[in-house]
Amino acid sequence: MKLVTDNITWMKFAFHNSLRNRRRSLVTVTIAALGTAAILLAGGFAYSTYQGLSEAAARTTGHLIVGTPAHFGTEEDVPLQFGIENSAAIEQQLLSDPAVRYVLPRVDFSGLISNGDKSTIMLAIGINPETEFAVKGPFLSIKEGEILQANAKDTEIMLGEALAKSLKAKTGSDLTLMVSTVDGALNAMDVKVKGVVSTGIPDIDKRLVYTDIKTAQKILNTQRVSSLGVFLNSMDATDAAQQRISHALPTMKVETWLDEAFFYKSVRELYNRIFGALGLIISVIVVFVVANAMAMAIIERTREIGSLRAMGTLPTELIRSFTFEGMFLGATGAVTGAVIAMGIAILLLIFPVEMPPPPGRSTGYPLLITIDALMYAVTILGMIALSMLSSGMIARQTLQQPIVDALAHN
Amino acid sequence: MTQAVIMELRAVHKSYRLGEHLVQALRGVDLQVQRGELLALTGPSGSGKSTILNLCGLIDRADAGDVLINGINTRTLSEKQLTIQRRDTIGFIFQSFNLVPVMTVAENVDYPLFLNGVPAAERKQRVAAQLKAVGLDEHAQHLPDALSGGQRQRVAIARALIKRPSIVIADEPTASLDSHTADQVLDLMRERGHAEGAAFIIASHDERLTRRTDRIVSLLDGRLQ
Repeated sequence: MKLVTDNITWMKFAFHNSLRNRRRSLVTVTIAALGTAAILLAGGFAYSTYQGLSEAAARTTGHLIVGTPAHFGTEEDVPLQFGIENSAAIEQQLLSDPAVRYVLPRVDFSGLISNGDKSTIMLAIGINPETEFAVKGPFLSIKEGEILQANAKDTEIMLGEALAKSLKAKTGSDLTLMVSTVDGALNAMDVKVKGVVSTGIPDIDKRLVYTDIKTAQKILNTQRVSSLGVFLNSMDATDAAQQRISHALPTMKVETWLDEAFFYKSVRELYNRIFGALGLIISVIVVFVVANAMAMAIIERTREIGSLRAMGTLPTELIRSFTFEGMFLGATGAVTGAVIAMGIAILLLIFPVEMPPPPGRSTGYPLLITIDALMYAVTILGMIALSMLSSGMIARQTLQQPIVDALAHN
Repeated sequence: MTQAVIMELRAVHKSYRLGEHLVQALRGVDLQVQRGELLALTGPSGSGKSTILNLCGLIDRADAGDVLINGINTRTLSEKQLTIQRRDTIGFIFQSFNLVPVMTVAENVDYPLFLNGVPAAERKQRVAAQLKAVGLDEHAQHLPDALSGGQRQRVAIARALIKRPSIVIADEPTASLDSHTADQVLDLMRERGHAEGAAFIIASHDERLTRRTDRIVSLLDGRLQ
């Protein structure tokens, strides 16, 4: 109890002292606030980018990808050499897991696509159309036509936007697919364009072909699928579901979306470095500003500090007082900065700002700043801790001066 | 048993480095201060008055010789032990008052009791009594800036005496005051000093003040005359 009341007294003393030179305190608080806001805005932007990219990656591959072990690590000599044989049974088994929402079989294959005059390389995916396009959501945009139907009369495909442009194909155009079957033979199939899509990544759109899974299996002459994309109720369930499914399907390998998300990982690594360096620079600036403010405050109060020490105040007690001063300045700055960052994040929701397409993309994206409670708490506490540390260190260094010299200070 | 001698200096030497020169501030000073005594240190500037005050106030250490307080040789004490000694037994009155400007008059006077860990209720009572004794009970919640020089020095006296110290160190306590106020302050120091049983060691050039002390010790070139 005495410790609490003592600390309250020291805090009160520190609070009054922090209001002595208001202009200097205001500058210190402003720098701490701007630093905090900059860290939170940069962190919020990175966080929102990570969320967007991770969601896009998970919606592309599924939260989990189930395949044969060789599918993930070995190059195939012929299509679907390492595909899944009895996919329907595995699909049913996967759907019995409470965290699993959808299981989407996929057949990946490549070959040529031709309009009669021009042939070009395609990277095709056989999919279950209804569910696949439903889970893609905003991460696949239908530019023209309609989505595939599972039991369509004609053999239909959807093309990537750039590929359609290259082949001068529109909805209803007739094209020919040419592939190598699982037996190594050449096979061709006439198809009709049902629609044109864009993933937002031109490099993918200029090769992309979607067809329904039965068409893919028919042209490849197989009943196998390449992999099963497993969509869960939430991203958070990924690791636990991976463990359960790996246990339930010992002959299969189960990878997470993260294992396949090379773009996400490289962006995250880059952003972590950029924003980490930014955070470090801002932290150093805040430490210097707070330390400088404290050094000025201590120098101005040299004689007073000498008097307090003469009266029997221990250096540790004075260090505590100055540390509390740093805490007040840091806390005021950090909370103000957090409010500023939160205000800007909310304003961006009310008045959206569209960002230009990033490198390698064809579409822009809305500028969003995530408000993450943990990030805010860590940043505010970190800023307070830095301010306290720098104040305490400066006070400790300055209190080395002999009392007699401090009392003689003018 | 309470000792009659509260502070003793034995063959104390002290020198300072001033640029490239070594200044001999004290050259073998012997001095005893009795409990409750009002002792004046006089002498020209540079005679060693402030150095004796610093040594008696335990804010500086002698180069040679011993400084004893209540029979304890301070040479053997650590910095922390010296601080605790000052906290427990020594009060300070400075020429320029040295009050803490962000603390009210009551908080300034309360500060030594707070340092000594006196319970809050007792502190409140003692501060009120002390402020009444120095005639500043109506100014308890004022900040020092709102007071006159004489009032501020009275606050400083109240602050020095509140913890009932054995010794009060006063460095030119009336130098910043006009003669009428200086007389009042000296009366107050005498009255409160006797009431609390504290010995006063006062460095001063002010003859009106030194005349009214129990004993005058003159210094010249670091030696007692």
